[in-house]
Amino acid sequence: MLIENPLNSSALAFPILECFHIVGFALSIGTIAIVDFSLLGIGMSRQTPAQLSKDTSLWTLGGLVVMLFSGLLLFSSDPDMYYLNWPFLIKMFFFVSAVIFHYTIHRKAVSSDTPPPNGKLIAGASLFLWCGVIFGGIFIGFVYPGLSFSRV
Amino acid sequence: MLLEFVQWIQLTGFFTALRGSAYVYPIVLSLHMVGIALFGGMILITDLRLLGWGMRKRSIAEVVNQFRVPKRWGLLLTVTCGFLMFGSKAEEYYYNAFFRTKLILLALVLVAELVFYRGVYANPAALDQAPSVPGNAKLAAALSLLLWTSIACCGRGIGYIEPPLDKIHARIHVIYDAALTVPRGLYIQKGQDHQDVSANQRHSGRAE
Repeated sequence: MLIENPLNSSALAFPILECFHIVGFALSIGTIAIVDFSLLGIGMSRQTPAQLSKDTSLWTLGGLVVMLFSGLLLFSSDPDMYYLNWPFLIKMFFFVSAVIFHYTIHRKAVSSDTPPPNGKLIAGASLFLWCGVIFGGIFIGFVYPGLSFSRV
Repeated sequence: MLLEFVQWIQLTGFFTALRGSAYVYPIVLSLHMVGIALFGGMILITDLRLLGWGMRKRSIAEVVNQFRVPKRWGLLLTVTCGFLMFGSKAEEYYYNAFFRTKLILLALVLVAELVFYRGVYANPAALDQAPSVPGNAKLAAALSLLLWTSIACCGRGIGYIEPPLDKIHARIHVIYDAALTVPRGLYIQKGQDHQDVSANQRHSGRAE
């Protein structure tokens, strides 16, 4: 039985959801980056990474929720296209890794006021994973659906 | 005159080469989005602090002053990437209503910055001494939130407007590529990047 996805009946639904997606990731990745920059010693010198993390964690979570739910709705508009799209699969790999990393290793690194000796490495890894999510997301629209890497 | 200027820009050797690469445009767009994530987050947090909704344990002065320099670097990255994308297809952007709106909103950001500079951004320590955040600081923050989110949404909208192909002078010399020649109905419907759409239409036009 086929059920029509109501999102596909409106031409505006997809772009509006994309706007929510963008604001959601600007808020979540932006607040994570603030903490990462602080771990790296760039700017934000008056607070410890732990303080910044506590200050922004609620907004990070809020941004993640907006990003995740708008993303799920975007995905629902055409699941099999996304399933066959290799940048999407890479994006999902980066996204799952980034979220797990954020709430385990990264969280532990900013749990005490003195950052661990490998704090810079953790910050770099976090920024790398989140940038991977962004790159994957952009490339979704630039390749023909298919698993072949030669088709970029 | 403006039209001649954008035609000249897109036909310079640098931007012609940029337009001809299937990889450079998405990479530049990705870096543009990285800039938005890193720099946009700081704008949002600064605005939320001024409105009293976020980072309330830190003083306004700390938040505003600490994010000032990194925000400028982020803005530089985002604007540079934006300009590279504009230059490669300047004529298409010229006709694009969302792009025009985006430029107007960016100009309004500049105006708001100048209007509120003395009262809000130049001396954030004074805002901390007031018993509650002054109204003009809250107004500045609310305007900033509204303008920047509108700018991001307009940016996304640019890809949804099909360029008037009969008026465009720049030929897109994309190397014959499976990704661009295969029919891409799904993508066109969703308003993907118009380089692909126009390349596609030219190919099909040639075949007929």
